[in-house]
Amino acid sequence: MKIELNGNEYNIEQNGITIQKLIDELKLDIKSTAVAVNKTIVSKSSYAEFKLNENDKIDMVTIAPGG
Amino acid sequence: MEKDKDILKIGKYEFKSRLLIGTGKYPDFQTMKEAADVSGAEIITVAVRRIDFNAKENLLSYIDLDKYILLPNTAGCYTAEDAVNTLRLARELDVFRTDLVKLEVIGDQKTLYPDNEELLKAAKILVKEGFTVMPYMMDDPVLAKKLEDIGCPVVMPLASPIGSGLGIRNPYNIKIIKETVSVPIIVDAGVGTASDACKTMELGVDGILINTAIAGAANPVNMADAMKKAVEAGRLAYLSGRIPMKLYAQASTQMEGIVF
Repeated sequence: MKIELNGNEYNIEQNGITIQKLIDELKLDIKSTAVAVNKTIVSKSSYAEFKLNENDKIDMVTIAPGG
Repeated sequence: MEKDKDILKIGKYEFKSRLLIGTGKYPDFQTMKEAADVSGAEIITVAVRRIDFNAKENLLSYIDLDKYILLPNTAGCYTAEDAVNTLRLARELDVFRTDLVKLEVIGDQKTLYPDNEELLKAAKILVKEGFTVMPYMMDDPVLAKKLEDIGCPVVMPLASPIGSGLGIRNPYNIKIIKETVSVPIIVDAGVGTASDACKTMELGVDGILINTAIAGAANPVNMADAMKKAVEAGRLAYLSGRIPMKLYAQASTQMEGIVF
């Protein structure tokens, strides 16, 4: 399945992967990761159920230097 | 007032330090960490950005979350909608342990001056959603009052443009803001060096947020120390009540008992 992850094309073996599984696959720390799918913010409590679809645009954010 | 009882209150939060610092533009994360430690700051600002999957280092590994409150900013947002959504996204990050947010809605790329209309619009929405909104704003007393009225528990007027190091360009407006609102005032942006910080605090503002002047100094860690001392000195001088300025001399030695 092809998705767009942070602006780049990303291929996932499993169709309908959940956000939680994608976070695990990317070895990200869930505490410092927030997710929007097609520009809609996904609540952390629903990562385990939220399934991604082909061509979804995923934004995964964290903290960065700033003033 | 006893020095250690001089507390900065922002909404339901209380702080001893009146210096807030940013995490941008440091030569490296280690220097940022050391400068933050030396500054005595309790609040440090960060941005919310897409994860760089190729990054070798992670900012978070240099920040002790038990020691600092992380303040998400909305830098780079030019509309109320983008700023609000950025902070809603930030709310999903567990590293932000409070509802404190730094709201900035930029109106112009060259000056990075805030867009008053969009700022007010975003602040209204965020206050309703339960955020403790710290708005970066022009040094405009009318706007400061409006932001206070809609529920911002602090206002953050600029001293001069972000990163300019020009210091406080309109101290009179800052004084008027102080007379206009009853919420604390944190001067955000424009401080260039320690004397700027000290003079700003002597006006009676409640705190200063500094990033570039520390991060961009030749020695950021020492500059953080200088800023800490300047903010403390300025605050103490303000609380101590300075002498009025006079045109002519006034002898500090008594004339009584003079022989020649």
